[in-house]
Amino acid sequence: MLNYAARQTGRLALGLLGAVVVAAVISAIAVPRAPGLAPFLAAVGTRLVDFARLDFGTSAISGLSAMDELGRRIPATLALVLTGTGVALIVGAPLGLVFGAGPLRRSAAPLMQIVAAAPVFCAGLALAYGAVHLLHWPVSINAPVRSAAPIFSSNARDLQLAALPMLMVGLAGAAAVQLALRRAAADSARGSYRAGLRRMGLSVIEIEWVYAAPLVIAGLLASAGEITLALLSAAVVAEWVFHRPGAADLFVKSVALQDWNMAALILFVFAALTFVVDFLGRLGAHALANEGKPS
Amino acid sequence: MSAAFDSPPHAAPMLRVILRVVGWCGLGLIAGAVALSDFLAHAPAGAANAGSILDAPSPAHPFGTDLLGRDLLSETLHGLSVTVGHALLGTIVAIVLGGLFGAVAARLPRPVGLALRGVMDVFAAIPALLLGILVIGLTARLYAPLAAGLAAAPLAFVRAFDRVDTKSTHAEYARATGISAATLLRRDLTYEFRDTLATVTARALAAVTIILSTVSFLGFGATPPARDLGLMIAAAKTSYLHAWWTAAAPAFALLILILCARLAAGLDESERP
Amino acid sequence: MSDGAPIFELAELSVSRPGAVLPELDRFSLLLGAGESVVVLGEAGSGKEALMRVLGGFTEKSDAISGTIRLGNGEPRPAARRLRPAIRIAYLPSPLAQPFAPHATVLSQLSRVVARKLGSPQESAQEELRLALERMDGAPPLSSLNKKPAELNPVTMAWGLLAAVSAQTPDLVLADHPLADLGPTSVRMLLGVLAAEQKRLGFALVYATGGLQPATRLGGRVVVIREGRVVEEGDAVRLASGHAHAYTRTLYRALPQLSLDRPKARGAPRGQPLLQVHGLDLLADPKRGTRQGLTFELRRGASLALIGEEGSGRRALVRAVLGLDRAPVGRVVFDAVDLNILSQTMTSRLRRRIAFITGADDALDPRMTLWDTVDEPLRAHLDLSGDLIAGYREGALKRVGLASHDGRRTVATLSAFDRRRLQVARAIVGAPLLVVVDEPLRGLDAFAQTIMREVLTDFRTHQEPAFLVVTSDFTVAQARADEAMVFKDRKVVERGAIVDMLRAPKEKVTRRLIEAVTLPDLSRAPASV
Repeated sequence: MLNYAARQTGRLALGLLGAVVVAAVISAIAVPRAPGLAPFLAAVGTRLVDFARLDFGTSAISGLSAMDELGRRIPATLALVLTGTGVALIVGAPLGLVFGAGPLRRSAAPLMQIVAAAPVFCAGLALAYGAVHLLHWPVSINAPVRSAAPIFSSNARDLQLAALPMLMVGLAGAAAVQLALRRAAADSARGSYRAGLRRMGLSVIEIEWVYAAPLVIAGLLASAGEITLALLSAAVVAEWVFHRPGAADLFVKSVALQDWNMAALILFVFAALTFVVDFLGRLGAHALANEGKPS
Repeated sequence: MSAAFDSPPHAAPMLRVILRVVGWCGLGLIAGAVALSDFLAHAPAGAANAGSILDAPSPAHPFGTDLLGRDLLSETLHGLSVTVGHALLGTIVAIVLGGLFGAVAARLPRPVGLALRGVMDVFAAIPALLLGILVIGLTARLYAPLAAGLAAAPLAFVRAFDRVDTKSTHAEYARATGISAATLLRRDLTYEFRDTLATVTARALAAVTIILSTVSFLGFGATPPARDLGLMIAAAKTSYLHAWWTAAAPAFALLILILCARLAAGLDESERP
Repeated sequence: MSDGAPIFELAELSVSRPGAVLPELDRFSLLLGAGESVVVLGEAGSGKEALMRVLGGFTEKSDAISGTIRLGNGEPRPAARRLRPAIRIAYLPSPLAQPFAPHATVLSQLSRVVARKLGSPQESAQEELRLALERMDGAPPLSSLNKKPAELNPVTMAWGLLAAVSAQTPDLVLADHPLADLGPTSVRMLLGVLAAEQKRLGFALVYATGGLQPATRLGGRVVVIREGRVVEEGDAVRLASGHAHAYTRTLYRALPQLSLDRPKARGAPRGQPLLQVHGLDLLADPKRGTRQGLTFELRRGASLALIGEEGSGRRALVRAVLGLDRAPVGRVVFDAVDLNILSQTMTSRLRRRIAFITGADDALDPRMTLWDTVDEPLRAHLDLSGDLIAGYREGALKRVGLASHDGRRTVATLSAFDRRRLQVARAIVGAPLLVVVDEPLRGLDAFAQTIMREVLTDFRTHQEPAFLVVTSDFTVAQARADEAMVFKDRKVVERGAIVDMLRAPKEKVTRRLIEAVTLPDLSRAPASV
């Protein structure tokens, strides 16, 4: 375990370092310099030194420090991703478990393909259409939300406005969760131990509960990084579709308006988030079932 | 015996085969529709005022018309052909830079291979959508198909790299009898591609189409007058709440394209998307 | 034949799987009395597996079953109906069938099994296991089972499985190839313990096997089955005597006896030394000072057996000799070239004249087709025309009996036996100077073993390569080589002519290895060794 943890920590450190370098390269584009490779590399070096001093430059759009701007925007995105994770687990886990094991497995696969084929933005628009026409909720598709409505609010209208993006991120996450679970279940179904232990006299339920379940949960944890990627991608689209001013939305605008300092910082934060979640997931999976994916 | 327990052959994998065939047939039909889009369409691409504004679906305009009075059937066909063309380009980039490069890198001297994988790991930790947006931001919207392929490449690289089992017993025996690394690489390429090229292509097509249409939807993709499905849906955002057909036709086409690609890739849960 | 009350009676049992052309079992009948044992001998796919499924009550839903079964004193009932059996049945699988979940310790899983069978808490089940292990001669302590399956060697696992069976105090034990491929010494010891436990607890035993060791060692009744039907049933001694059905005789040909006669000279020693090893030390620890290393020589066309238990260092020696692992001390000269001073490229060029035939089932690339597998060495090393390659390939496939197979089939779809023969075909086309034969019969049933022995003999006679035979079985060694080195703890403890070792083994290890393959009570067996 210690060995594995050490290796994964090394991997995490290298990954974060790589993300810092990528961020430095992107933000170096914003540095005024002479043309050519050498000045550019010098600019990257300068940015790396700046990063080490926690100076991430200023946003070209707002003129604020990139750190402050991110600080203002990231809570909304994190709240979105966190609540989305909740929805993803609540919706995706039962789906994955019901469809991943048991008689429904074979018939479920094509159904899942159809559901998962919808790109996130299509699903978001469909949700909004349903909310407007069936529930008569207000939606923020075509008008930006003036006051950055907090995701947790006592105001019913704010809650309704917040529910859709949350649901959208959650559903995208649920698709990833159920896929990870079904994959883990399929992997564990191949183990010959089921037949072996069954023949030696254990009951099916005992085998599933005591020996198969940890493997399946470990499989889910080992896919934590992938699920995070799905959630973050969905957050970008959700914030953009529903005009919610978060960090993901800011990234899209920063790239569109060539605000590279801001874009670099957000990209780094997202990559770091993925790396950390992936790291924790792998450790959890290893502790549970000695089954981390090969590094 | 040393083999694992005998278990009955899995109940007919027929469903899987049928669905794969359906997927490929669907892709074939889509390819046909794309090739014939200029004949099938009622109006040339972008022709405004083909009918009145926001007409509901009718025999004259089976998919209705949009805000500018364009015939949505024609527009969807043109959009589909743009999307398919761009997605194919992106798929090639993803497969060559991802899958092929990954398989080759795994057979390079270990330190080199691992270094390459480390670099790709960093890019694989960035959501492909953001990576695609970034590449387009750094270059131009013209390169959206390449950017989508590039965005999908890191994950494909990592997976192809991990698929190659450099420590396999058979490779060790081959080396012990003087089979060179080049021959082993040739084996990987020949057999992996024989077995998985169709699957990998279909899967990459689905992934790249999603990235590409999302990027277009966010305004980073196709540039008018070439409108792809993502851009059409983005344009329909303002009208679809009261004229559902403006978004329904392109969204449906997109959905069918992705669904066919996914079905064509097969239903193996153990494979990563 | 049964002296006790019947423990089970099968009548007209047929089992078939959906889509299969032939039934797995075809009107099979068997009666077994309490305390009796019966060895069910057959190839893979002969129907042993279906018999186990029906007796153990773990049939699949898709199985089509007819016939009746009577367990204990109960009434005969349709075998298709699964009921709680009136007798206690214990199942003894092979540790190599990976019957344990990979992430829990073997001890915890065995305790759980015993606890469930006895209806007792896990602690007392564990205590039962401990007692069972202590009762058994030569068994490892209970604590050695407290590891995950991957960290445990198969022999220890087999002891654990045997102890779990014994702790259940069953009426009937279903032994499903429990000792296949564990090495003759271990098999002999574990079979002895199984027989002793049977005597003590008085359980009936159904022992399914593809090999002949159990059939000859356990004695008693043997049922030979093929394609779901009983070929022959009878006493182990009679079946081995040669007065048996032709198929049975073929099976028993796989049971070569040790011969104490001097071998006929296998042709003159062919001058040039092929492999010279000087002062090679496998216990690689330069800090502990130099020890006397291993020195030996293998001439062209000669053969040498490396005999020892799993993990005794035979394979380490082969790897060091072939430069796959670099030995820290010593010098290896292959075909008059010192391997230690060669570059990687040059070594790999030399290795083209080496071939492997091994018991590892994954030694061939499962993705390759049958033809590609044979062609590859030719294509990789020589510049030959397609016709010439096809000619060589056809010749080699014919020699191993695979010529009628569809050459476009992938290796993954071949049986273990076919894959083993394919390895020989691949070796044949390479015209090697040295063939490393590593437990070539492992995992094969008796029928396949007979053929495989013939194929290897044919290879040897036709091409006269030098053989380096890695095995734990003296009969395999004697069939392929005249000289041998016996290994223990990564050291050579005895070397010399095999016949001399058989006549007067100097070391305890050698004696144990010889005893392990010396079969008792058979008319054809040598009187004593």
